Amino acid sequence: MSTWEENYRQAASIMVSPEALDERILQQARTFRPPPGHSRIVSGTAGSFAAIAVLVLLIHPAQYLGALTPGGAADARHDPLNDWQLKREKPITVTRDPWVRLRSEIRSGNYVSLCEQWRKEQRGHAEKSLPRDLAKEARAHCRLLPQP
Amino acid sequence: MSRKDFQHLDDEALLDFYHSTRNIKAFRLLYGRYKDCLYRYCAQMNHTHANPILEELWFSVLEHPPVLNGRVFRSWLFIKLDKMLRQHAAFDGEQHGEPATREEAPGPLLGAIQKLSRRQRNILLLHMECQLPLATVADIECLSLKACREQYIAGKEQLRELLYGPRRQPWRVEEVTA
Repeated sequence: MSTWEENYRQAASIMVSPEALDERILQQARTFRPPPGHSRIVSGTAGSFAAIAVLVLLIHPAQYLGALTPGGAADARHDPLNDWQLKREKPITVTRDPWVRLRSEIRSGNYVSLCEQWRKEQRGHAEKSLPRDLAKEARAHCRLLPQP
Repeated sequence: MSRKDFQHLDDEALLDFYHSTRNIKAFRLLYGRYKDCLYRYCAQMNHTHANPILEELWFSVLEHPPVLNGRVFRSWLFIKLDKMLRQHAAFDGEQHGEPATREEAPGPLLGAIQKLSRRQRNILLLHMECQLPLATVADIECLSLKACREQYIAGKEQLRELLYGPRRQPWRVEEVTA
């Protein structure tokens, strides 16, 4: 069996595919171009451009401009810390309460001047009307006397 | 994938690789694996039309990736080639009314193979030259595996007879048997 196949192989080994046929088939194969868009060259150029961009960013002198600035000669003789001072706070302006006298009287339990003022206001003679809290106090403690 | 990587790919992967990249070197490698084997089979089946048939076959491989349906590329190739040879044989039969003229084969063994019937020759060549398993050969010839094996053995027997004469028969005297 095996000798038989060997004999066959020996006999058949002289028959090989003729060169002309190979040439014609490979010629046909060469007519098929690789599909467009899927090109290794494009990705290669893109990759090298990216690499160059990264290199430029790393080596670019502008990277170190900020680092060199504080050691400049102009700043050495004039230290900005020398004349540093704390910012003064502005004094708080307090608006004077025009009713402070009246309030202190009320706190001590004297309602006379309050009620006077109140009556004046009710009659329409007052220049300034009482603030809300004083008016409330007045309503609680004062009577309206009949007009003389 | 670098240039040398596809040297180790099997046929199906190489075919996929070729059809995705159209790399001529990949195709040349694939072609180199099968060209002699295919040519020997084709030339022994139909010598006159071997070249155009092979060209047509490879062009179909080049044009579209073959639909393998899970088969091995080797099997696909020989099944397809067998189909094309059959078509050509039928066409020749219509034209001339007789099988294609057989060329003078180099060597007695190849000459003897040419004298076999078409079916036996096909089975013998597919199994020996193309190294297809007998089951695949049986599928191609539309035979049962048993019948195919019998045909194969019968073909070899006939080949031996053609080469070395009939098998030695036990010597008999007619008077003794009578």
